[in-house]
Amino acid sequence: MIEYLIDGPLWYFSLAVFCIGVVWQLARILFTAGKTDLSVARGSASSGAWRNIFSRFVPHHEIAPQVRVQVVAGYMFHLGLFAVIFFAAPHVIFLEENLLGFGWTPMPHWAFIVASQFAFFGLLILWLRRMLNSVSRLISTLDDHIAAILTFVVMLTGCLALLKGFTELRLLHRFTVELLLIYFPFSCLMHTFTFIPSRAFTGAWFGRRGIDA
Amino acid sequence: MFSVKMQTHKIKMQTHNAPLAALSFLLLMVLLVFADLASAAPAQQNKNYPQGVSAINPGADLWREVRQRDLAAQGVTQVKGVDSGVLINVWGDRWAQFRTDKPIKYAPFVLLGVILVLVLFYALRGKVLIEGGLSGRMVKRFTDYERIVHWVLALVFLFLAITGLILLLGRTLLIPLFGQQLFSLLASASKEGHNLFGPIFLVSLIMMVISFARRNIYEKGDLTWLLKGGGFIGKGHVSGGFFNMGEKSWYWMVILVGLLISISGMILVMPNFGQGRIIMEISHVVHVFAAIVLIAVSLGHMYMGSIGTEGSLEAMKSGYVDISWVEAHHDRWARKVKDSGEILSAEEFARQQGRKPGSTDTATE
Amino acid sequence: MSERLEKGLQVLRAEMDKKVMSFFSSCVRCGICAESCLFYTETSDPRYTPIYKTEPMRKLWKNEYSFWGKLKGKLGISEPMTEADLADWEELVYDGCSMCGRCSMVCPVGVDISMVIFKVKHALAVAGFSPEGLVGATERAVEIGSPMGITLKTVQAMIKHVEADTGLKVPVDVEGAEYMALLSSNEIALYPEYLESLVKIFDHAGVSWTLSSDAFEATNAGLQLGNKAIAGKLVQRVVDGAEKLKVKNVISPECGHAYIALRWEGPNFIGKAYPFRVVHILELLDELQANGSLKTTGMETERLTFHDPCSIVRRGGIQAQPRNLLRPIAQNFIEMTDHGSMNWCCGGGGGVSSNERAEELKLTAFNRKKSQIEEIEVDAVVTACSNCRMVMEDGIEANEMDMPLLGLTELIAEHLEQKPH
Repeated sequence: MIEYLIDGPLWYFSLAVFCIGVVWQLARILFTAGKTDLSVARGSASSGAWRNIFSRFVPHHEIAPQVRVQVVAGYMFHLGLFAVIFFAAPHVIFLEENLLGFGWTPMPHWAFIVASQFAFFGLLILWLRRMLNSVSRLISTLDDHIAAILTFVVMLTGCLALLKGFTELRLLHRFTVELLLIYFPFSCLMHTFTFIPSRAFTGAWFGRRGIDA
Repeated sequence: MFSVKMQTHKIKMQTHNAPLAALSFLLLMVLLVFADLASAAPAQQNKNYPQGVSAINPGADLWREVRQRDLAAQGVTQVKGVDSGVLINVWGDRWAQFRTDKPIKYAPFVLLGVILVLVLFYALRGKVLIEGGLSGRMVKRFTDYERIVHWVLALVFLFLAITGLILLLGRTLLIPLFGQQLFSLLASASKEGHNLFGPIFLVSLIMMVISFARRNIYEKGDLTWLLKGGGFIGKGHVSGGFFNMGEKSWYWMVILVGLLISISGMILVMPNFGQGRIIMEISHVVHVFAAIVLIAVSLGHMYMGSIGTEGSLEAMKSGYVDISWVEAHHDRWARKVKDSGEILSAEEFARQQGRKPGSTDTATE
Repeated sequence: MSERLEKGLQVLRAEMDKKVMSFFSSCVRCGICAESCLFYTETSDPRYTPIYKTEPMRKLWKNEYSFWGKLKGKLGISEPMTEADLADWEELVYDGCSMCGRCSMVCPVGVDISMVIFKVKHALAVAGFSPEGLVGATERAVEIGSPMGITLKTVQAMIKHVEADTGLKVPVDVEGAEYMALLSSNEIALYPEYLESLVKIFDHAGVSWTLSSDAFEATNAGLQLGNKAIAGKLVQRVVDGAEKLKVKNVISPECGHAYIALRWEGPNFIGKAYPFRVVHILELLDELQANGSLKTTGMETERLTFHDPCSIVRRGGIQAQPRNLLRPIAQNFIEMTDHGSMNWCCGGGGGVSSNERAEELKLTAFNRKKSQIEEIEVDAVVTACSNCRMVMEDGIEANEMDMPLLGLTELIAEHLEQKPH
């Protein structure tokens, strides 16, 4: 019964909430009316926008030493997780069979393990830092903690089910994934998509003013 | 772990050599019959048959070699793999027996014993308080990074300890509780988790070496600290530097025993580098013993760092410690701090922690 | 709900736009912005974390625009905002933020934190949660014409001195002049050498210019207070004066926030584009140097560095020009380690220097600039903002440093090539 629910209706429900939720939140942002800037532009807003989308991936060297932990752990986590979600064999097969109808070459098993180790390590460091640093402790919200813990639980249940010998473990992993998909559009996890318009807006503003950002 | 590998190995052998195996089996059966007949006549003098003939049983030699009772003899096979020439590993059974007789049998007692000792210690001695109490004036002891390294190592260690103990003691202790099905699920999950997080432990351990090694090097006065049992033996204060000898001993135990666990663990989790069964067995024994030792002593560390000593846990939470705590436990460092370091007032400390003086609330919602 | 709170919330709602929505959706509370803010780095007080200063607006966004906030509202379990949510942020936003914008440069998800802080300032100003010093300055600016209470009489007296010292005429109310120059109260009060330099340079370069007796003040206390209506009113004065004299260009002086108010935010405050071009004095001097009208001679030999005024460089876009102008006349020009658009603020911008309550914090923040200067071991600091100059002089004095502050326009005027008349 539970297996039927998790592999069936709950999966479709969570997928629908995720897709509709993400599109809805993005549309809300992009289609809210903007105010025209009446000042005379010095430079190009669009080139500033594009530039900023990519330049913010690398911290300014003036502050790089102070933010090393966040940046290194952040990339370890994000790149590791990205690799695991899209290039781990079980996921490639899952996506092919359940969603896309086509797949691609997954990474070798050892790379899957190493990538997930990076993801776990990065997330642990980031979440511990959030608790231990006085700035992030002050500004962090419940949303931040739920997102971190839920993501960790998804990753952990995935790890526990690696042997593929027990349906219960696979179902636990899938269930936590479905919880994450439902939580996603209503949380800070939306930064996954909204960082692009956010960087673009600011980049456009800088570009217009001819600022060397 | 490696038992699964052995399984597949055996299967590989069979599929590759089916005709040869069948032939050998047939041959063995024939020999068996003769061996059986032959061994009906004992090799030594029979009292009832004084004129008994002593004949060497040709089968006995063959079977002695096959049984490899004394050593794991290497034969020759078509499969070119590690240990593929070893038909029977004599140490395998011994190791399995050893595992049941020693670590599985004694580990629960060791660990429960440590817990009992700590409970008794707390009941009798109580929390080690600071004479005169805490002053409220704080000194920075650990940076953000140092605390992160500690807690990553600690959490990963706890996870590995729990999953490791499930793997070691689960069959004896947990099957009676959960039943076989649930336990096998738990064990599989534990194995996957244990294997994946093991290398993370090693990386964290290396980070800990880099961050803390310098301050854990032996200094003059440390031996005195040790002989005085950190102040529990005899009266009066014992002198300590940034880290006292108790902390240094624990640190080097973590590093050295931790490295033992990690290296043996890496040998076990990556069997693709030519390790034979004997290396795996030895690694496992080292791994288990080192782990039990480290878990046991870590219980003491967790106790001392939290409820055991007043003012200690704050060091790993905010990174700051009370100046009275420094004077009580690390007088040599206290002198340095008073000369050159910054001592924050209670108000200033609260402000830097982002809270109003007196309150513990820091979160935004 | 109190009237003040309601007024403040109304402003926050009006200030909500697609940018702010994308910003609050993207912020994951990483804390990187704190490392860029001198109020945090010099005090270690996490409350000065830039994104924390935007809390009042984030709370509104959460309550009225986010899923959970709206759901809680429908279920009747929401946490409505209180006056304390605005009042408690007055010190953070006005004393602990100079609107320098360094945070906006470093946010990994691209939040323009400084812009959001300004929106919060707007709400606080309308709700009446602003420092006395700024409120007073704004009242004086509106009623008298200058936040420091400087009248036309004072300006005329200054003009007399300048004319006497230079032997040159200062044009006033000349209709049809190409450039209308503005002055900041600081320059009038503390650095009259600025006007003297303008006179000399424009004479040297043959620039057709004028002052306006109706509109000589460039500073915008409304902007510093955060009250957009008042800021617009003050901008309109300049626009009216320029239109009256039918000038083609208006020169923004060596004043940081004045440049932002006039060049970039002004048209949006008043709701229409200008019929004239706004040019910063450094932009103009750079143009004059480039086309050969401005020729300098000789060099300063001492070790000099340039302090980049935040509103002119980082938020204003004028980074190359001061260097183009300084390099020809400075033999030993040394950049501060963090310079250009990543320079550190002097600590007194955004109205902080007009806020007596913020004096101690401002001096603490100055420690960053102090260490920047000491690191490169220079003999003097050049800058192009009279407020920066004043703030740094205060800081240098308080720290008993021996460090002269030079104005860039003055330095150029001192090195003008003598042209035959």
